[in-house]
Amino acid sequence: MNTVKVSNDLVEKWRKEDEEARRIRREKANWEFIKSQPPRIRAALEYLIEKGDRYVAAKIAGLTLEEFDELRRKANIPVVI
Amino acid sequence: MIGVLDACFIIDWCKYRHRELLEQLFATLFIHEETLAQLKSETTITYVSRLLSEGKLRLYPWSQIEEDEYLRLRGEIIHDPRIPSLERPDILCLIMAKNLNAILLSENTGIHRVTEFHPRYRGLIVWTALETIENMIYKNILNVSSEDEFLKLVKEYEEDTGHIFKRSRLEKSLRRIKSWLKR
Repeated sequence: MNTVKVSNDLVEKWRKEDEEARRIRREKANWEFIKSQPPRIRAALEYLIEKGDRYVAAKIAGLTLEEFDELRRKANIPVVI
Repeated sequence: MIGVLDACFIIDWCKYRHRELLEQLFATLFIHEETLAQLKSETTITYVSRLLSEGKLRLYPWSQIEEDEYLRLRGEIIHDPRIPSLERPDILCLIMAKNLNAILLSENTGIHRVTEFHPRYRGLIVWTALETIENMIYKNILNVSSEDEFLKLVKEYEEDTGHIFKRSRLEKSLRRIKSWLKR
């Protein structure tokens, strides 16, 4: 399987972007709400804060993208783009 | 101008108070049936159905050649942990936008990253809601007479959807708006 090489500069740029986004999500999140959720939902919301990946987070939660997005908004986790 | 919708973009855009303006910006919008299948809420389905019934939005006729390209592209990006996971419908949107020479509307970081590094997809135009709002201003669909008014529109989107645009993205957009306001 062929893969496409990514330059070191781009990797560094992405690392910084990911760091900034993670910091914003951690700061804005309603941790009280997150901690009050059942384990599966809590794990999904915590994953979202760390990785910012709504698709995988929705799958962890066992919800559709839109159902999970409602929870994301209640947990005050911003989409950082 | 032709646009391609991905699921996250349209789900979020439907929550925006100025959502109806999207159809004024694009002559035609395309959606893949697998993207359509990802939409579940009444608000999103109602909005998308209206666009389809008015002919502003069309289902994309997918081909075998495009399916082959999907398998190729998936193989090239799936192992890279720096690319946030892309579901099949997202990759299909990339291929559609490239083949249509269209603007891809997406707020998926993985999509944006593919267009930053992949030789076949580098140069493909991907807009988040920020660039979409910005281009509505250039086309006089939304009117602003100052940077503050532009920032107010951006703030409204962020409030309606629970989004935050990265500082670097917002600064670039603001520079372009400043220059446009001086014209």
